[in-house]
Amino acid sequence: MKALTANRLSDGEVVFWKSGAWVERLADADVFAAEDTAATAETSARAQPTMAIDPYLIDLVETEGFWTPVSYRERIRALGPSNHERHGKQADGGDAVEALRHAHGAARSSGRVNLIRRK
Amino acid sequence: MYRYDAVDRAVLADRAAEFRDQVRRRLSGELTEDQFKPLRLMNGLYLQLHAYMLRVAVPYGSLDPRQMRALADIARRFDRGYGHFTTRTNIQYNWIRLADAPDILDVLAAADLHAIQTSGNCIRNVTADPYAGAAADELEDPRVWCEAIRQWSSLHPEFSFLPRKFKIAVTASPHDRTAAKVHDIGLLLRRGRDGATGFEVIVGGGMGRTPYVGPTLKAFLPSDRLFSYLEAVLRVYNRHGRRDNIYKARIKILVAALGAEAFGREVEAEWEKIGSAGDLPGSEIARIRDAFTRPELADSPAPGDFEARRAAEPAFARFVRNNLRAHKLPGYAIVDVSLKGFGETPGDITADQMDVVADLAERFGLDEIRSTHEQNLVLPHIRLADVHTVWKALDAARLATPNINLISDIIACPGLDYCALANARAICVAQDIARRFEAPDRAEAIGELKIKISGCINACGHHHVGHIGILGVDKKGEEFYQLTLGGSGAEDATVGKMLGPALPIDRVTDAVEAIVDAYLLHRKDGERFLDTLRRTGDAPFREAVYADAH
Repeated sequence: MKALTANRLSDGEVVFWKSGAWVERLADADVFAAEDTAATAETSARAQPTMAIDPYLIDLVETEGFWTPVSYRERIRALGPSNHERHGKQADGGDAVEALRHAHGAARSSGRVNLIRRK
Repeated sequence: MYRYDAVDRAVLADRAAEFRDQVRRRLSGELTEDQFKPLRLMNGLYLQLHAYMLRVAVPYGSLDPRQMRALADIARRFDRGYGHFTTRTNIQYNWIRLADAPDILDVLAAADLHAIQTSGNCIRNVTADPYAGAAADELEDPRVWCEAIRQWSSLHPEFSFLPRKFKIAVTASPHDRTAAKVHDIGLLLRRGRDGATGFEVIVGGGMGRTPYVGPTLKAFLPSDRLFSYLEAVLRVYNRHGRRDNIYKARIKILVAALGAEAFGREVEAEWEKIGSAGDLPGSEIARIRDAFTRPELADSPAPGDFEARRAAEPAFARFVRNNLRAHKLPGYAIVDVSLKGFGETPGDITADQMDVVADLAERFGLDEIRSTHEQNLVLPHIRLADVHTVWKALDAARLATPNINLISDIIACPGLDYCALANARAICVAQDIARRFEAPDRAEAIGELKIKISGCINACGHHHVGHIGILGVDKKGEEFYQLTLGGSGAEDATVGKMLGPALPIDRVTDAVEAIVDAYLLHRKDGERFLDTLRRTGDAPFREAVYADAH
């Protein structure tokens, strides 16, 4: 399974694709089972360059009933920094945040190359 | 402190206005991200994992109270109430909105600060001895040269698009507190036989993927020839540096490939062509020197009850032992302000803490504050009679941790918690080690021990020159950590040697403790960790860490 993510242009916030727009919580995002629907979403997202920067697809695994990123890096993006638990999306708490904290899975994100290019 | 003139201020105002227009055009879609990215980077604005990050230059680590308060104001109004001092003596804000960035540049400009050349393949902020102007062992204040280099290199048309970024350090003390030998250029101020000053010029040091201690290119360069020589070095680098491969683009690779001798010959030939036309006139150096305010240091002020309090209060005595350094004048001390509180993020400081430091500098410190490449602050001119009051105020603000140069005074880059380049976290590793060695008697018994942690091979955490270096690596998607031993960023600069296979995150602190225990077992009287390691070699330490693997 995959989700589409990016950083919002106006403030850099981590965002996820849902029904043609961007949302802030991974738990609210569209999850793609098929490669072609994921690719179509990515094409649509790239057509909105003033909304978010360099969208890319990430791999997901199921954890405690939620879809969570396989990659550690993407879990940190979806949660916030581990040294400031009141910063980032983790500040809201809840079951989806706990699932992200408990998630495992070690593959490097397919989006990493794009992240490095952006920096 | 260097006082800005009308020209300096006009440059900053123009730059902020220019960036405001660039941001407007990006937000409206007139500029694509590919077009905008180099523009934002030229103003220190990165996109990191969670938000934009703004890196603000603290030129050669010098700040005054007004500037520190401006930094606090930015932290409160535009970030989340804190900032992060880096190993380049700069400050970074982690939660910046793009639309706010022009307003922040205006706030900075009003305080004679900026973010110019904190990114990009240009000459970056110059590193200076954080004790400059106060150290008992310095020849002269090196910041005049740092400021001259800043003005010379800022927006320099020839050197704004180098093969890769370029970092210069200047120190005027025999004890190097700048890590000069692992900079692209290290300038060590010396006095010649005739009494005139000059520089030992070290070129081609660096860390990152391929670490080198730089060789000395010129043993003594008369100080009035500095700028023509810098121009020659940079021109040779600009001409021959590898632009085809980002990993081989730093000057250290060029110097190593050609050999220091051959590289030096190229520089000499270029230097001859440039001649003295490339040097700053003496009048310009004098103008810059005169633009520095001189702290009004008293002649041997009385120490008050300093000694009595030190004798009566063990906690104050511990602070004095670890956080005070000799000042060039009797009756004064240099006070190190630790940004390494236990459980805190190395280098982080809240807006309220910034205000405390600003107040103390204003009331007791002749308006001077320094940031260090080891991610701490310094109040360089405190009367001994005021040290106790300053300590109490720092302690109340959680800024008086008595751990300077001890095992919990750890450098750590932002790592994977923030940085888009990182492979592993660094902050939590530093926090865990610091907590393990929180007992102050034990830390003092261990003595000087510098741990430096990087979250990737780019080495922003200076792990190569850590007495114990820790490098985060991505091993099949998991965070692992490679240990190195024996590095030093001081005058005896050395690149640390890898100890053995990388360890998972939950074994790192135990491994550090095993190394420390082995050191305590093998050390002889008066030896620092590095001394013992150099005498014994790393075998006892490898055995201590990897004993279970046998």
